[in-house]
Amino acid sequence: MAKVKEYKMFEGCVIGNRIPFIEASARKVFDILDIQTSEGPFSCCPDPTGLKQVDHESWLAMAARNLIIAEDEGKDIISLCNGCFQTLKVVNQELKNDEHEKEKVNDILKSIDKQFNGTINVKHFVEVVHAVNPEKIKENVVKDLTGLKVACHTGCHYNRPSEILQTDDPMKPVKLREVVKLTGAMPVDYEEEMLCCGAGTGNAEEEPSMQILKNKFDSAIKAGAEAFIVNCPACFQQMDTNQRNLTKMFDEEYNVPILYLTELLALAFGISPDEIGMRYHRARPTELLEKHNLT
Amino acid sequence: MVSVDYEFKKIVMDAHIHDTLKYCYQCNRCTENCPVAEVAPERYDPRNIILSAFLGFKSDIFGVDDTFNLWGCTICDTCDEVCPQNIELTEIFSVLRNMSIKREEGPEYFISQASSIYENGKAIPMQSAVERRRDQLNLPKIQPPNVEEVQKILNITKLNKILEKNKEE
Repeated sequence: MAKVKEYKMFEGCVIGNRIPFIEASARKVFDILDIQTSEGPFSCCPDPTGLKQVDHESWLAMAARNLIIAEDEGKDIISLCNGCFQTLKVVNQELKNDEHEKEKVNDILKSIDKQFNGTINVKHFVEVVHAVNPEKIKENVVKDLTGLKVACHTGCHYNRPSEILQTDDPMKPVKLREVVKLTGAMPVDYEEEMLCCGAGTGNAEEEPSMQILKNKFDSAIKAGAEAFIVNCPACFQQMDTNQRNLTKMFDEEYNVPILYLTELLALAFGISPDEIGMRYHRARPTELLEKHNLT
Repeated sequence: MVSVDYEFKKIVMDAHIHDTLKYCYQCNRCTENCPVAEVAPERYDPRNIILSAFLGFKSDIFGVDDTFNLWGCTICDTCDEVCPQNIELTEIFSVLRNMSIKREEGPEYFISQASSIYENGKAIPMQSAVERRRDQLNLPKIQPPNVEEVQKILNITKLNKILEKNKEE
């Protein structure tokens, strides 16, 4: 019998401890697509836009400790989050290829009787879903989303730095678009598709972060998008929770539903919005769901 | 008149950035493609930070009135991709930010996130309301991280000291 591959699920702090409805959609979709996962006692990845900026060595050692938890079970990690993915994959590659760094980190990890060996890989869930036979995804689509125009937004840490991550094209990623198309939904071309959501800048100051977000929204709306499809919880939160701020700051109405890729797939697979907690979205998707018979 | 700080210059050049920094020829592609420079051109210019860093102009980066030139970067890694010399600008900014934190000049957000990670092992600690929501959504319990192990690591890397110093005042 062929060995069934099981991943260690890395839902991350934001999805696991703040917006778990995203995880609900991911788990349902993974079940349908036979992507098997199990949990682990992971700490914060840690955040490449947070702790890494405070102290590089702390970031490196904590990430190595998370990787070791998966190494101990001989399983690859599947990340639901861009930030966790970037941290874990970058650290994994760095330590696998740099003996000096590895020694330094292992010296620190001696204090907890652990050692990094570099025996596993780290995957972003978009890569894993994209690697599923497209026919398998199509045959599970019971609600054809033809007519739904969406703006794909992969976010920065999904595919950059490309030299290390090797997920997709660094400035013209295709995997998210290709998976979206399997549901019948149509990704629009918009000028600012590669523009960052601005969350990183927001950690220092709000105004420029909102200006970046506005540029992103305006470009997608102009191209006719009814919703954004995202694959990162930091982008999701930045885009979902700040539309009222945008309206206030710029005196323009913004109400664009933000859907996680796994939410879009769950809806296409016939799972009800209620079952995956879509009522917890700030930018209410009600109108969109009604329009496309997804309620 | 700015002066060159050779010690600072050496730290930057020796950091984990694969020796690429010295090949910068100031073509400005980083700034032209930067989403933050686009919305705040007077306050943020990645090319300029790189120039100050490799020339050793420490006083241009630290102890300045507006820290946005260092902390404004949204870490989108676009400059790293478009740089014709393969300079990992974002990594250099990260080295400089680590120094800025040691000088207690970093924004509050970064210290509070690091504190949460130190205390809980997570950037966002679990709350009972979210735990209930997870139950309602039929999600498994989050396995708690071993905080003791995390703290042991972070004491060796002296994150505890960095945080203490930043929280004084």
